[in-house]
Amino acid sequence: MSMAEGLQPDEFAATAARAVTACAGLDVREQAHNLAGDGLLGVVADEQVGGLALPLGFAVPVIAAAHSGLLTFPLLETILVARSLQSSLTRLAAAIVSGKTLATIAWQGEAGAARDGGLLVLSGMVARAPGAACADYILVRMSGGAAALIPTDADGVVVEEAAGLDLTVPEHTVRLEKVEVSIGSILPAGTWDLLNSDANVLRAAAILGSAEACLTLAQEHASTRRQFGHALSYNQAIRHALARQKLALESIRHAITRSLSGEGGPVQRDAAFLAAVTYGSSISEGALQIHGGMGFTWDVPVHRHLRRIRSLQAQGDASGLISTFGRRYVSEVAPFAEAGA
Amino acid sequence: MSVVEAVSAQSTASENLTDEAYRDAMHRWLHANLPAGFRSDSAAFAAPTLQQSVAWEAAMYRAGLTGITWPQAYGGHGRSLREHLIANQEIGRLAMPESVNSIGKELAGPIILAVGTEEQKRRFLPAILEMRNIWCQGFSEPEAGSDLAGLRTRATRDGDGWRINGQKIWTSGAYRSQRCLVLARTGALEDRHRGLAMFAVPLDAKGVRVRTIKSIDGRESFCEVFFDEVEIAQQDAIGAPDEGWAAAIRVLEIERATNRMYRAWRFENELRHLISACKADPALSAMVANRHYAVRLGEVAVEIEVLKAHVETAVEALVRGDKIGARGSLAKLYWSESHQRFAALALELLSQASLPQKAAIAVARRRFEAIYLQARAETIYAGTTEIQLGIIADRILQLSRGK
Repeated sequence: MSMAEGLQPDEFAATAARAVTACAGLDVREQAHNLAGDGLLGVVADEQVGGLALPLGFAVPVIAAAHSGLLTFPLLETILVARSLQSSLTRLAAAIVSGKTLATIAWQGEAGAARDGGLLVLSGMVARAPGAACADYILVRMSGGAAALIPTDADGVVVEEAAGLDLTVPEHTVRLEKVEVSIGSILPAGTWDLLNSDANVLRAAAILGSAEACLTLAQEHASTRRQFGHALSYNQAIRHALARQKLALESIRHAITRSLSGEGGPVQRDAAFLAAVTYGSSISEGALQIHGGMGFTWDVPVHRHLRRIRSLQAQGDASGLISTFGRRYVSEVAPFAEAGA
Repeated sequence: MSVVEAVSAQSTASENLTDEAYRDAMHRWLHANLPAGFRSDSAAFAAPTLQQSVAWEAAMYRAGLTGITWPQAYGGHGRSLREHLIANQEIGRLAMPESVNSIGKELAGPIILAVGTEEQKRRFLPAILEMRNIWCQGFSEPEAGSDLAGLRTRATRDGDGWRINGQKIWTSGAYRSQRCLVLARTGALEDRHRGLAMFAVPLDAKGVRVRTIKSIDGRESFCEVFFDEVEIAQQDAIGAPDEGWAAAIRVLEIERATNRMYRAWRFENELRHLISACKADPALSAMVANRHYAVRLGEVAVEIEVLKAHVETAVEALVRGDKIGARGSLAKLYWSESHQRFAALALELLSQASLPQKAAIAVARRRFEAIYLQARAETIYAGTTEIQLGIIADRILQLSRGK
């Protein structure tokens, strides 16, 4: 019997929210231990590596809760790496699911590879690797859609801080200088596309969590902050701005739901991510605006969500994706011909 | 051959089909029977006459494509809302004319089903589906556009019946309608939403006068309707006098989320048509291949996917038995604004076509110039954008109005 039977994704939201709260103030390895204890690191990984073997939809409320609560752990990457390794690197996948080993993904760039006997020698620069400074392994993209798992303590691996926006799970750049990895650490062609397609759904979920937190903050502020003798929410301009944010938020939520339904495929997954980027940015920027001068202060957490959303936008290469998405759509339509119009 | 003659009268209503078989049956029927001249993405397009539209919609009904969820006792096909969605997806995928009786099928009919008497259901509903009665909506007034609670058309008791005096405006299609669903005041103006009643007013009744108004697209479908001492029988009063407004709101909430459910798929048909026309033109084929327009067309495609998500989520919620409530305003706001953006992009692209103009561009310009103008109404009718934003703020976010 699958563990999914009888369970609903939403039931994971409360568990995830509690787990995220419990992680406050802990270092990354302690967080990994706690999150593993709640089954969250292996939510979509096979049971043979200690996972729950649930469909991707169960990771959506988990990731949304993590981002809503500003969890300082690369949960999205951990969940996906564990599942990517479960067939070929079973023991490592189990160690990741159990929280003993930390892994992340470098979303930008490709490693160049040269063969040297039974080893591959990787060189190049990859970037946008959340939390790489604390990770034991980094999954990097290779040409042809394959992926390589690289130990961060291997000779030639240099993890550097990057000047990224995200303060919660900062991104790192990774220089690979003739790094030798075994052939067994290479995941086959197609791995990256599958990984990225799932990541797009989870990035949308992450943005949903952050955007929901922003809207809640904006709504609370508008109800309690008084100007001109009234609560801000007395003013139609504020009410309508918040209403537009609510429409944007529900649009992200519904797009994710559709991407995981029977109607969902790669197009719907890309669309969910692209919609989330557009609407998530608009919601977080709008929430900052509603807060007025307070919104521009370090202590009001809206900017932390805004920073995360913009980082997720870059990690998923939304600018490149919307261009690809549009070109693909255009290419699939035949020129007008009366008979086939 | 007339449309009706071209149509197989065989109904799928009594067949027990899987979703896919049902989709296939609807798809095949539409493709086999929609006349080429009705397709606005065809060079053969010619706007159908009223008589042709009536015949076509009656044929669609007989084929099981309208009245899908209405009970069989009242002429409906007794199918599920999910099947209604499937049929509408197939309707949307073709560039066919809008219904001339959407008010009957998507507003008056559902209201009558909700609060009408048994006699009214049997008298009105089959006539709507069979296209014997076209309905229009008499809600807006010169002094009550968005603020319907301020309407002044008055219904007073007159023996066993009613007497109606007043004026309605922006009444789409009144000139071609047999019945008007009139919202009228039975109490004082100060009563606002209380004391409003609904009537099925026959437009051939003595004292009814209809005058067309030319709209921005040059058509004369908009109307003013004047009621001067119009006598209405009690049997044409819909629901109890104080129930009218509440019933209308209940039904409008659902209708706002589900009416013209085919929209997202029709917008997709429009987008594909636009791209196909551009690809037939030397200048535009280069433009849609470049990054700028690929991105902008991609953004339209994403919005269409999100709109589908709104519609499908609403259908699933209703199938589960959830109340839609004010959430219908989210979908309405979304589709109306995204369609306007798309229509503006279509005009922008088509305005850059090569000379001499290709046939494909002529067909597309005719369609998209009309869509662009008509889309301006979409953020106004069925509750303006500002009304939808107010509903979302008040009833979904429940924002405080505290002083």
